[in-house]
Amino acid sequence: MSKISPVTGHYVTVDVDGLEYKVFYLENGSGQPLVCQHTAGAHNHQWRGLLEDPQITAEYRVIAYDLPRHGKSDPPENTEWWTEEYQLSADHFANFIVALCDALELVDPIFMGSSFGGNVALQLAHRFPERFDAVIPVEGADYSPGFYLDWWQHPHANAAQVCGSGTWDLMAPQSPEADRWKTWFYYTQGSEAFKGDLHFYSVDHDLRGKLDEIQTDKCAVVLMTGEYDYLTTPEDGARTASQIPGAEFIEMKAIGHFPMSENYPVFRGYLVQALDLIRSKTRARV
Amino acid sequence: MEAWVQKFTEANNQDPEIQAHGKYFTCSYLLDMAEHTFVVRVVAGTIAQISVDPGPIEVPYQFAIRASAQTWREFGKPVPAPMYHGIWAATFQRDMKLEGDVLVLMQNLRCMTRQIELLRSTGAPV
Repeated sequence: MSKISPVTGHYVTVDVDGLEYKVFYLENGSGQPLVCQHTAGAHNHQWRGLLEDPQITAEYRVIAYDLPRHGKSDPPENTEWWTEEYQLSADHFANFIVALCDALELVDPIFMGSSFGGNVALQLAHRFPERFDAVIPVEGADYSPGFYLDWWQHPHANAAQVCGSGTWDLMAPQSPEADRWKTWFYYTQGSEAFKGDLHFYSVDHDLRGKLDEIQTDKCAVVLMTGEYDYLTTPEDGARTASQIPGAEFIEMKAIGHFPMSENYPVFRGYLVQALDLIRSKTRARV
Repeated sequence: MEAWVQKFTEANNQDPEIQAHGKYFTCSYLLDMAEHTFVVRVVAGTIAQISVDPGPIEVPYQFAIRASAQTWREFGKPVPAPMYHGIWAATFQRDMKLEGDVLVLMQNLRCMTRQIELLRSTGAPV
């Protein structure tokens, strides 16, 4: 048996909001595109389990990209980005994802993201319901204040370890130690982007009072939240879902804020439920 | 109480992760468990001393981790319930408070996180 993974990597150039990015993405499978966003300050290896899942990739083309400034996706090619503080906005994040899907010529994609990716999934459903067949906000909510902290970049502390260990408690003690440590390791690599990402997560993202504008007849919404997530708790996920007409909510037991990365086998069971729900909803549309 | 002090000290001083990464893990902090307080003094990854119920201004410390005895008892279970599984979780969602020179906590966050998790094997002393 070959030891070469079926997962392949590519770069695609994305132009958005006057910025040019060379975006790295991993992909595997064929079928409806399932576009996956990692969490703030991390990169696409968080989706390693899903990317190599033989059953799901038999039905879906799983695409996990690195957001610019993360992993192998560099900051913008055409600006002196080092002269500005990085503060991700809801406008740019949402526009970027649409531009990426356009650049990849994706038809009826499902978008799934965790944490700040879950929050932007809600933004996409709100702003671009025609562009996405469905969204799966994982560990997302209408509003998630409190994590835009200077500690992530404090020059008197080891920022890599603060980011890695500061997010450690977001994972469940039941999750396999090796997978939690991989997730910790990704966080040590992203400390210069983490705080700027959290500007979107905790400051600019605010859909309070707007959730009822989301049209789930055009873009289905299935939220999923882990019970060990102290940032976006199951109560936050359930509250958010209850205010979106037609949205579904799944509480995930014995797992935390990085479910796809900290314990893929447990996450997978819930993801299959979410994909089944989406299939039944989109079939009902026709 | 002395048995717990010895157990926690040994658990730390024999912990492979802390011993591998604790070369600069030097600080002192207060564990306020309401029914009892402890000042833990760590030198280069080794617990040098745990002062039990020190008197007022008797033993200095750099930062404090405070919570009710009930919260610490939950920390002391082998598999803690949600929101009792770490100092960030309990600070955001329960009654834990991080006080004092929190920068020192952040400078030692990796080893501190592991050290607090040792309560899962030693149990809480309250």
